[in-house]
Amino acid sequence: MAVAPPSGEDGTNGVPSGYPAGVLAAAVLAATGVSLLLVGSAALWLRGESIPVGDADVVIEPGDQNMQRARAALAALALQPQAVPQVARLAILDIVTIMTSYGKIDCLLQRGRLDWDRLRRNSDVVLVAGAELVVAASSDAWSLRRRFKGSTR
Amino acid sequence: MSERSGIGAVQVAILEALAARPGRGFRSNERLLSQAEVQIGLAPWYAYPVLVDLAQPWKMPVTLIEGQGNFGSRGNDPAASRRYTESRLTDAGRVVLAAERRDLAPVPVGLINGNTYRDGTQPPFQPLAVIEAIRHVMRHAKATGREIVSIIGPPDFITGCTVSGDLDALAAGRPTELRLQAKITISDDRQAVIVENIPPNISTDDAAMSIASRAQETNDLSRPAELRDATRLDVRSVRDESTSRTPDGRIVCKPATGTPPEQVRDQLTRVYGVYTMMYVALPRSLPATIRRWVKVNQTEDLATSLTALETAIISQPSPRY
Repeated sequence: MAVAPPSGEDGTNGVPSGYPAGVLAAAVLAATGVSLLLVGSAALWLRGESIPVGDADVVIEPGDQNMQRARAALAALALQPQAVPQVARLAILDIVTIMTSYGKIDCLLQRGRLDWDRLRRNSDVVLVAGAELVVAASSDAWSLRRRFKGSTR
Repeated sequence: MSERSGIGAVQVAILEALAARPGRGFRSNERLLSQAEVQIGLAPWYAYPVLVDLAQPWKMPVTLIEGQGNFGSRGNDPAASRRYTESRLTDAGRVVLAAERRDLAPVPVGLINGNTYRDGTQPPFQPLAVIEAIRHVMRHAKATGREIVSIIGPPDFITGCTVSGDLDALAAGRPTELRLQAKITISDDRQAVIVENIPPNISTDDAAMSIASRAQETNDLSRPAELRDATRLDVRSVRDESTSRTPDGRIVCKPATGTPPEQVRDQLTRVYGVYTMMYVALPRSLPATIRRWVKVNQTEDLATSLTALETAIISQPSPRY
């Protein structure tokens, strides 16, 4: 069941209204049919945390078909489409970073291969501008943030 | 990091090499980097990017070197080879060098310039405000942290971009993220939306490409209507008018027919390149940093060195200070 995103502008850090670009980036990817799960600051913002959203961190569900969809969607959004790795590479890389007009999208591929089922079980679907976006539980998002950024919380 | 000015050892060696020949003329960068190599053993291939940083007028508030020749652009054009460029010290560069040679008391150029221009975490601050804060602490030993922070103000990037974020955390010495945003205005004739004062860590070429890329997505009918509205950018043309004379960057966007420029202005605030995020952290709180600097250097004639630096900053070609 989809839940509503937080209201108010805390965390958008200067953006006058609406969603931070990082949240929109993930919503655009999800709207193309890519099975993904939002983590990082954008997920925490959607969970109501007052936090600046710098980029979009997404865990991509493993599997050939989803990787093909993800590659096509990332290439369509990328400022340099030729920099998006081929599907075979996506299947073995740990993290891929793509620059888009929404900012940086970090695709946590290894995390998807290792942890998809557990992260998905704890997650919820949040409606972002009409698009259904799977968002990690706060505890999982904080845990991953601690691991990758050394956040103290 | 030099205790006298707060700039790096390679930067000091470059300034020394520039000052080695009498007169105020330009020197070939090829020759001066060879000389710097003799002094510090750093090959020109490594030292040249440091020199270029010191000369590019959009990198830091206090410019230490004046360049002649092609020193690159705000876009993706790199500087020409060191064989084809020349340099000389600016007035501020001479003041820094005098401080390094102990002809003058220390100057807080490292505090002012920060190091985010080379991917560090210390942001720059308004030069004259830092000098004023130091003078305030020299006059009032019991100045409060709040007073010092209010004199210095928020980080101040030379391109004039807007800075927002948890500024209290930064001043308190806690790591945080700042949002740097270009200034977006509507032209007097309402025919265009102008993006200026582009954050210094964004190439104007990339910003223009990012805007154009988002504009091309506008008609993606596969998205839900609400998402399409949230991500749309109704722009029919994007022109990068940045030149070496406008180091702040300038991109002109023409709204699509029938689209009010106000709508495009608001939509642009969410396009990467027009904004960016920057991770920042000071080694200690801002008041403690200023107090420590004054305490360490209090036995020297700071009044004279601060006045010399202030005069040099005011005489910079940049009209911002």
